[in-house]
Amino acid sequence: MQPLSRWISVSALALMALNAPAQAAVPADALVGPIAEYKLYVLDNLEQLVAHTREFTQAIEQGNLDKAQTLYAPTRVYYERIEPIAEMFADLDASIDAREDDYEHGVKDPDFTGFHRLEYGLFKAQSTQGLAPYAKGLMQDVDDLDQRVQGLTFPPSTVVGGAAALMEEVAATKVSGEEDRYSRSDLWDFQANVDGAQEIFELFKPLAAEEDAGFVKRVQGNFDDVEAILADYRVDPQDPKKGFVSYDKVSDADRRALTGPVNVLAEDLSTLRGLLGLN
Amino acid sequence: MLVSFDVLARDREGLDILLRTLTTRIAFLTQGGAYPQRDPRFPPPDSGILGPRIPPDGLSVTVALGASLFDDRFGLAPARPRHLERMQGFPNDALDAARCHGDLALQICANTLDTAYHALRDIIKHTPGSLLVRWKQEGNVPLLPPSPGDIDGSARNFLGFRDGTANPSAQDPALMDELIWVDAQRDEPDWAVGGSYMAVRIIRNYVERWDRTPLGEQEAIFGREKMSGAPLSGGVEQDVPDYASDPEGKITPLDAHIRLANPRTPATEKNRILRRPFNYANGVEPNGQLDMGLLFICFQADLQEGFITVQKRLDGEPLEEYIKPVGGGYFFVLPGARDEQDYLGRGLMAATT
Ligand code: HEM
Ligand SMILES: [Cu+2]
Repeated sequence: MQPLSRWISVSALALMALNAPAQAAVPADALVGPIAEYKLYVLDNLEQLVAHTREFTQAIEQGNLDKAQTLYAPTRVYYERIEPIAEMFADLDASIDAREDDYEHGVKDPDFTGFHRLEYGLFKAQSTQGLAPYAKGLMQDVDDLDQRVQGLTFPPSTVVGGAAALMEEVAATKVSGEEDRYSRSDLWDFQANVDGAQEIFELFKPLAAEEDAGFVKRVQGNFDDVEAILADYRVDPQDPKKGFVSYDKVSDADRRALTGPVNVLAEDLSTLRGLLGLN
Repeated sequence: MLVSFDVLARDREGLDILLRTLTTRIAFLTQGGAYPQRDPRFPPPDSGILGPRIPPDGLSVTVALGASLFDDRFGLAPARPRHLERMQGFPNDALDAARCHGDLALQICANTLDTAYHALRDIIKHTPGSLLVRWKQEGNVPLLPPSPGDIDGSARNFLGFRDGTANPSAQDPALMDELIWVDAQRDEPDWAVGGSYMAVRIIRNYVERWDRTPLGEQEAIFGREKMSGAPLSGGVEQDVPDYASDPEGKITPLDAHIRLANPRTPATEKNRILRRPFNYANGVEPNGQLDMGLLFICFQADLQEGFITVQKRLDGEPLEEYIKPVGGGYFFVLPGARDEQDYLGRGLMAATT
């Protein structure tokens, strides 16, 4: 991996005059446009999630192991991008995306369902045997999620705070390789979380730039850097659809190199709500 | 508490910012005071775990560098302290990679553990892109008042023995200069003068087994009486053990811990080290035994003549049946910052431009 000179290791906290006066609130109507656009982004990803989940779960029900394995990572992407909204429905988030560590009895726990239960079957047990009920359940949950989000009013602080929440996800479970421990497709989720965070940042960037142009520049620089490192691990740089190499191939040194800009982004983006005067 | 980090900064500039930030944070934290106010719509600048005003609470933070920091990332190689190397396992070790080495270590000590946690969280929050915690080991020196019938003496470790008795006195500046601090005579890089080598060892104690060992055997293993801490050759805790009149080890066995660690001969005077033992308790092992032990930290002006030589003398000691070193590392403690303009590591950075 080539050294990246643009990378900025300092966070808002280190640079900010902390006794800065109270932040002026951005007028509420200024947020309306970006939030409406974000809802379109979420709905678009949901539509894709529904379609891809259908294909993925059908492959399982048909006992097509190869196909199901291939579709696992690309399907999850649409969920991981919109996690700030998806997580608002805690019941579905648990049944769709919980990991075995969330349950006392691990993989044997009857409540363990969803993507990661299927991952366990497809990649650890290397079989579709017994997975059909989980596949059906996942499809139902995803349809349910789609329904619920359609009618949802997006709370501004959840949307704006979502950028930081996604980076926290990356810092907590993606860098360590805990998320996709059997499929080793962690980098797909990593990229999807970063995509989702960047989408939010882009939408609110003009407003944030009015408050603190340096902040925007720094965040942009760190996003560019994470993107550049991730690009090194694409199977085919010309064809993003091919996705990423197995997380096993990412050296400890590179995992640590990813942690730097990810942690600065988490720290910086944690101030985005405050910067826009949101509670 | 000892915390070891990987340095994530990617160039000299990033490392320089890190060292300056550490200096500023440590200066604030050790003196105490209030954090600036911040608009409540932002995350607060402080974790708040010590309340609105930070008391100094005896906080000290010792910053030390590991050999890995002197690789090709920052151009520091030509200025590496001469004895700074990656810790190699000793015969009784069972090192756990997740608890070994590191680019930079902080020894954080305070009267209360919360003050140490507060300092650690403050430092982590201010260095998100440049430091990543690699491992951490807490430890504690029990400050119990003597129980009825006991005398006041050194604190006890988890094997029930007084620990720290025979340390060279930190109250004796000449002795510290001779044994602990690197000075100009040491054939070390100029920037290293005023620094010291820090050896860290996480040493598990098999306490259940120890508690099933006869008292006489325990005392023979250390060479001291358990309750009083006095040497087996007699007297009180602070009395110097007498090996000269016991050449065959009939009173103090030749392989007793203290006799091997410090044979008290003129030739071994230069191997003396300043020990800071902390007790730790981490939880439970899969076999149901307690994971307790000693966070052993020692300082010396010459790592080879200090820790490494002493540990080699201890290799094979009877105590090994009850202990298992599982982690740690070697570090070089940076000389202190001298004034407001100075910062920790400035000399090193200047020496390698
Ligand atoms: C779990 C591990 C260990 C335990 C429980 C332990 C315990 C003790 C005790 C009870 C004493 C006598 C009291 C005192 O003078 O402080 C002592 C002395 C000493 N220990 Fe250890 N120790 C351990 C590991 C080590 C290691 C790793 C070293 C260095 C390589 C070391 C070096 C010394 C030295 C130099 C003395 C003083 C001897 C003297 O000057 O008379 N110890 N230790
Ligand atoms: Cu997830």
